[in-house]
Amino acid sequence: MKRKLISVLLTATMAATLLAGCGGSGSETASSGAAAGDGGELNVFVWTEYVPDSVFEKFEEETGIKVNVSTYSSNEDMLAKVKSESEGTYDIVQPSDYMIQLMIEQGMLEELNQEALTNLSNIGESYLDPSYDPGNKYSVPYQGGVAAIAVNTDKVDLDVTSYNDLFDPALSGSLVVLDDYRAVIGMAARSLGYSMNETDTAKLTEVQDKLLTLKDNVKLYDSDSPKSALISGDCTAGFAWSAEIALAMEENPAIEVVYPSEGAYLFMDNWAITKGAKNYEAAMQFINFMLDSESAQMVSEEFPYLCPNTKAVEAMGEEYSGNLAKNPPADVIAAGEYVENLDTDTLAIYDEMWTKLKQ
Amino acid sequence: MKRKTKAKLQKRLGIVFCSLVYMFLFLPISVIVVNSMNATTSKPYLSWKGFTLDWYVKLFDNSSLLSSFGNTMIIALVSTLLATIIGTLGAVGMYKYKFRGKSIIDGLLYIPVVIPEIVLGISLLTIFSKVSIPRGMLTLILAHVTFCVPFVIFNVRARLDGYDNSIEEASMDLGANRVTTFFEITLPVLAPGIAGGALLAFTLSIDDVIISYFVNGQTKTYPLKVMESIKSGVAPDVNALSTLILLATVILVVLTQSDLLKRREK
Amino acid sequence: MKSAHAKHEWKSNTLPAMVMVGPVTLCMILLVAIPLIYVGVMSFCSIDQYYNVVFKFTTQNHLRLFSTDYLKIYGQSLAIAFLTTLFCILIGYPFSYLIARTKSKRKKLLYMLVIIPFWTNSLIRIYGWRTFLGTNGWLNTALQFLHLTSEPIDFLFKQGTTVLGMVYCLIPFMILPLYTSIEKLDTNLLEASSDLGAKKISTFLEVVLPLTAGGIFSGSIMVFIPCLGYFFVSDILGGGNSDVIGNLIERQFQSGNNWPLGAALSIILILITLLLVKLYQKMGGDMESLGM
Repeated sequence: MKRKLISVLLTATMAATLLAGCGGSGSETASSGAAAGDGGELNVFVWTEYVPDSVFEKFEEETGIKVNVSTYSSNEDMLAKVKSESEGTYDIVQPSDYMIQLMIEQGMLEELNQEALTNLSNIGESYLDPSYDPGNKYSVPYQGGVAAIAVNTDKVDLDVTSYNDLFDPALSGSLVVLDDYRAVIGMAARSLGYSMNETDTAKLTEVQDKLLTLKDNVKLYDSDSPKSALISGDCTAGFAWSAEIALAMEENPAIEVVYPSEGAYLFMDNWAITKGAKNYEAAMQFINFMLDSESAQMVSEEFPYLCPNTKAVEAMGEEYSGNLAKNPPADVIAAGEYVENLDTDTLAIYDEMWTKLKQ
Repeated sequence: MKRKTKAKLQKRLGIVFCSLVYMFLFLPISVIVVNSMNATTSKPYLSWKGFTLDWYVKLFDNSSLLSSFGNTMIIALVSTLLATIIGTLGAVGMYKYKFRGKSIIDGLLYIPVVIPEIVLGISLLTIFSKVSIPRGMLTLILAHVTFCVPFVIFNVRARLDGYDNSIEEASMDLGANRVTTFFEITLPVLAPGIAGGALLAFTLSIDDVIISYFVNGQTKTYPLKVMESIKSGVAPDVNALSTLILLATVILVVLTQSDLLKRREK
Repeated sequence: MKSAHAKHEWKSNTLPAMVMVGPVTLCMILLVAIPLIYVGVMSFCSIDQYYNVVFKFTTQNHLRLFSTDYLKIYGQSLAIAFLTTLFCILIGYPFSYLIARTKSKRKKLLYMLVIIPFWTNSLIRIYGWRTFLGTNGWLNTALQFLHLTSEPIDFLFKQGTTVLGMVYCLIPFMILPLYTSIEKLDTNLLEASSDLGAKKISTFLEVVLPLTAGGIFSGSIMVFIPCLGYFFVSDILGGGNSDVIGNLIERQFQSGNNWPLGAALSIILILITLLLVKLYQKMGGDMESLGM
């Protein structure tokens, strides 16, 4: 009886999906026919909620190159995928500062053809020639930002000014926190006045004790779209990427951004080409396209992170520069800290802490 | 009299209970259907901004969504076909012939059925990575064939239990060769089992998330596309496509159900 | 007799046997046996500072499996699986009983209504629960509208929510075998029992339950084991606060970048599966009924 019914249902499912499938693929070729052309393909691997579809579409229209987009949630996720896939699966990746360094050391990146980067002059002086990639041989900056604090002032009475306040029992069960172990452990370390890249085991024990007091406060771990929980009201405060907070503020004016008094977690994400990329020329074309101020502006409108594209910043004016969440003040950047690569033993301790927090 | 009212009450209670269970089962479906008609365009697409059917049109412009669906269909069809061929041959072969290591193969067949999918997923990932097979359509199909074959075999085997070997021998005595005998005698007898197994394989393949998640490379199936869209809030067009698929299957069941059931009951 | 016959024919049948059994043998050995053995081998490997797997023998990974942190998550995962199975039985049994023994003409429809929701992608349905249960979701809106609560209730991102999602995902695997075993019950037997003066409850306990125990067992296996690995349910509904063993493995293969540790963790899952399957067979369970 059971099997009989399943068969009936399955026949129907198969037929229906087939029908839908035919309809689907038919219209797909129709719509992409114009864009795809014979310009080839480009496989792009980027952060979730970080590059607007409209930008990819514009690139496809201008060049006739078909862009295939995949997304990841953390640098480590990206590294795992790029490592486990065969060489050349992804042409372009978007690693943060410390990850660029690690990938260069590992020979996982292809050198950029500097001559093709005609738009590099749009990038502000201070963002070029970073310590993790001297001379921008392998990478150019995309966007940066801060892992800052979001507070829904309608629901939270506590006056939040620091990372340390996130540990306050008053925030029990109300936080959305990045699902990123370097960011969260770094935050706990900063709240104690230590470095985000602490390796001293005695200090790390202290960090762990501190971290475990965060447990009761965390309602949700989400790196991809922490704004969702803030907007939906499921979480009333959070530790999130600055632009995510900016977007949440647009949906709900009661939400505010707070830059921690201890000095914040900073990051700068970059475009890079993986070793053995199959579409190197197209990838260079894409990176140069992203350095264009118009593209940068399109990006900022949808995902307003710290924009290193000076020309775009000028064009956007007050709307961008005057917004505290979109454009973090210079003193926040000056007081902040970037993540660095650590040795395996220390990382094992970090991983253990993370497991303890999440159990 | 008293007994009758008691029985009536029990019956009512039963109806209420079953209705509650059905409500439980259909609740998320109703969320999907309602959200597919939400006019909202801002993430995470939760607040209600009015009724619209636009998403049912717009979804046909979403080429990445449609191509993921196309991939799912291709993978499901190819891997069902392969699994059905491999499984049917295997079931008949294992029924007819004795060979060394048969019990080992028999044991291996249970593994994909009972083991948590994540274990199969990571084991395939590690081996594909070890022998450097690029992840994509090929590895997805290999993985899907792997977990579908046992289901085909078990279904065909159920038919074989009552199978009479002598008709095959008769066929061969009459001068038919093995291949003709297989196609003209063996296969028709097994057909219902093969069909059942194939259909089960097809369903398992189209809704597989966990195993595909580890071996997909750059190729996205529909479930993986949904997984990605969940990260930033499920967009109304994804809800619209899901609703369409559901609707199409329900209509087809209603249309085909009566006569299919009749044929089976004979 | 049959085996002697087969042996006799072995030689002349070598080619057809190879053609028929060859593909499935290759498939099972190359894509099931070898990968699993390789996972076992990998669990003894180490990683270097760039997260690369190096073939340097270590038992470090296996030792880490016994750290209290991991033990707690296994416990939590087993508890979630146990509760899920329990709820599936408690809801699924009476439900299957009622629809399998209904005299209604719409029996087939009733049965199909159980399966229809499961043609929609499972992830999107789980997400539907998240929308429904959210702080400003349907349920809270309804409760506030009815003045049953003034402040929204926190339903999401708890262990209970994960259990709910698991029950939702897996309940058909309980209902289907139960339905089959209950439908097979002989009505005469039940009538005989009540004719002999047995109360309904004792008829149930002494006749119905033992006869349908097979359905409960196979349903439980099909619910309990996947539950340990369904990391996406605890991700979407548990918010990262109620991880199952599947989450631990997934993390090591993704952001954790420690495949050997992930491999060692999946050995735990393999062992639990083996143990439960052995138990199932001891209780007279039929393996083949799990695959249909």
